[in-house]
Amino acid sequence: MFYKPKQAIHTPISRRKFLELGGAGATMLGAGSLAVGLNSTIMSTRVQAASSEEAKWRQYAGSKLVFLSENTPPSFAIRENIQSFYEKTGIEVEILTDDLPVVQQKAGIDLRSGKSDYTLNYVQDKPIGAPFADFYVDLSTMFGDDTLPQDPEGYGDGAWFENFLSACGRFYAEDKIIALPYDAAVACTFYRQDLFEAHTKDFEAEYGYRLEFNEETTWKQVLDIAKFFKAIKEGGADVPYGYAQHQGSFAWTTQLDIQRMMFSHGQWIDFPIDDKLGSKRPGPTNWGDEQSVLMLEKFKELGDASHPDNLANGTLELNTVYQSGNIAMQVQYHEFAASVENPETSVASGGRTAYAPCPKGDADWNLTGGPLVNGTNCGIGGIGINANASEDMQRAAYLFAIWSTSNQIQYDVLAGLGGTPTRKSVLEREDVKAAQQRPTNMPNALTFDAVYNHGIKDPHFVLGPKIPEANEYHSILASETQQMLSGQKSPAETAAAMKEQFDFLNDV
Amino acid sequence: MTDVTNFENKSMLSGAAQLFRAREHSIEVEARPLTDALPEPTIFNPPAPKRYYLYLMAPAIAVLAFISLYPFFWLIVMSLQSVDIGSSEWVGFRNYARLLKDPNFLSGWGLLLKYSAMCLFMQLAIGLMLAVIVNNHRYEKYLVTALLMPMMMAPAVAGLLWLFLYNGTFGWYHWILQSLGILDSASILASQSTSMYAIVFVDVWQWTPLITLIALAGLKKVPRDQLEANMVDGASPIRNFFAITLPNLYPVLLIAILLRFMDNFRFIDHILVLTGGGPGNSTKILPVYLFEVAFKFFKLGRGAAIALTLLIVTIVLGMILVRVFDKPQSERK
Repeated sequence: MFYKPKQAIHTPISRRKFLELGGAGATMLGAGSLAVGLNSTIMSTRVQAASSEEAKWRQYAGSKLVFLSENTPPSFAIRENIQSFYEKTGIEVEILTDDLPVVQQKAGIDLRSGKSDYTLNYVQDKPIGAPFADFYVDLSTMFGDDTLPQDPEGYGDGAWFENFLSACGRFYAEDKIIALPYDAAVACTFYRQDLFEAHTKDFEAEYGYRLEFNEETTWKQVLDIAKFFKAIKEGGADVPYGYAQHQGSFAWTTQLDIQRMMFSHGQWIDFPIDDKLGSKRPGPTNWGDEQSVLMLEKFKELGDASHPDNLANGTLELNTVYQSGNIAMQVQYHEFAASVENPETSVASGGRTAYAPCPKGDADWNLTGGPLVNGTNCGIGGIGINANASEDMQRAAYLFAIWSTSNQIQYDVLAGLGGTPTRKSVLEREDVKAAQQRPTNMPNALTFDAVYNHGIKDPHFVLGPKIPEANEYHSILASETQQMLSGQKSPAETAAAMKEQFDFLNDV
Repeated sequence: MTDVTNFENKSMLSGAAQLFRAREHSIEVEARPLTDALPEPTIFNPPAPKRYYLYLMAPAIAVLAFISLYPFFWLIVMSLQSVDIGSSEWVGFRNYARLLKDPNFLSGWGLLLKYSAMCLFMQLAIGLMLAVIVNNHRYEKYLVTALLMPMMMAPAVAGLLWLFLYNGTFGWYHWILQSLGILDSASILASQSTSMYAIVFVDVWQWTPLITLIALAGLKKVPRDQLEANMVDGASPIRNFFAITLPNLYPVLLIAILLRFMDNFRFIDHILVLTGGGPGNSTKILPVYLFEVAFKFFKLGRGAAIALTLLIVTIVLGMILVRVFDKPQSERK
């Protein structure tokens, strides 16, 4: 059949030998497959799984999970530690990370098309949780299941920081939990203590009070500070601008930016609904009322006094502006403290920055008669399980969800990569308590007092609006607010335009 | 279908000869004497039945239908439904009715036409100028290679590159524009009045080389005898360009304009990276809004309605462009 040179030394294999080798190979292959199969999901029963703690963790050995997550520190840290999860469970986990808008699109298509290419999702509260809540597994059905391992600290509201479970886990129904808090970004104030101290005399001479920041500092005072720094900068002094907003292209953080000021004054919210639970039919919006118009006027004033790049600065860019020393103050998410405190990338590091709760409402700006609070909002990233996955894959995913939100992993993420914990117990560790004071090896811990002891607690915490059309809502709000800040529309016109579009959006 | 295999009809052959003779631009045919008809074949194949051609074309038609026609009809169906991925509800023309009330849809059209017109005009003017400069230059090969570099970059990467260059904190171009007094302290992306120019500039930077390349190919085909004759008649180089070169370039420029015109209706990567459609709605051209509606808000029915209007307008404008540029030279005058 094949060409063979005449001089070739050729030793043909005999037919018997060939059959012997083939037979041996087939037997080994069969035995190997059987061994893998016996150890896999297919052969594991829940009765076997319940037999021991180890068996509970290993009942889905041989499975593979795909976790689609935002590119935030916890996912990077967990990817570094993923071998320990594999050794504990025998489950392989592929962690895919991307920017939040991309995660939102991929997760949305996967969930809504009835597929489960991504068994586990990063459930960022409003951008992902609000529109896709119905497509996630109700984790409460797995809590207390004796064929599954359980976290000794449990999963109730008390196990997490205040409001965290509601933020990412509860949507439109009190008893259904679709995600466990996985990472957190809570707003607080970052300000340049060194600049405040250096200019306090001049400021006091002009405004009649000291240039300092604490939990009683109001939005009106923030406007004073912004105007003060802008005036002396434009007078030729070598100082940064006073303030800047989150008004760049990321619509969600633009909405959060204005929500803080709105909520601080009488706890104003967008729709007359339970803000923490949300509603699929939110009804007519509150935009367009007297308080909202006043707030837009003040927001515009603040925008005019802010850094000139205000409309190009999304959350990340804003932090860069602060790190580069171009503003003296920002309301920012506490996970950014790690980058601000990095002396290689930030001129605001080394004790120059101090942290405080978000600004408080001002009595002069409150027409509602409601309380004045330090309006604080957040992005709580949960970890949720795709309900399109098979029951076995859902249970396997549950193992990863409880492992990744356990005390130890949360601590590792905080200590290793500058993450932000969601479990309350992490703060009870002695080294974490110590890290809240300078010098510290966990820079995010410098914000913990402002965030965990104040901002996230009621009555300061604001979550909503949790509505299915949350993303379109954010987009409309961002677009209208930016047009107002550009001077294209007046605050009253903006409020009216928003009301019209939101009511149309929600079929009112 | 014309039965081209039937050669029995002699009048048909003489008709073909007349046809060839009429094509005066073909030197080869023109040189042939009129009486030099092809020798009459002695053996003829029987004419193939028409269905034979249909069988031959069937696989190609099936592939075309699968990849092109089916999605097109499905797009029409979707535009008449309220579509969630995996389920849908028939809503008739409600998606279209809603578009008419949607301020983003209407402003998106205006911005798209403005953006497209600015990009096309600048790319055509600069691309043509560069082609003329580069043509027959001593270092033509090197210059063309250098010019093509932006085009080889993925549009999203180009967007990211310019995002850094425009950045108000550390952007180099921001610093230059500020130093020249073109910008005040705000960056080019932070103002509604300048952000459109920022995205137009990126598109011009990236795709002008395509026009240059196509125009350069056209310049190589401009008949030298016409150019020389015109110069002998005393025409200046500029008059020569407008009287001889440019008219000869019309067919290739048509291709370039059509390509870029359609691209401007489709390529939004750099806009998404640079501005996301903002500030306000100042750069939210219709395809950006379409992307938002379909893949951020997951309103696929409404997205399909927008896409269909976009498609129809693209086809109509494309046909108008072809008619304008494809007129014979005599009619253009």
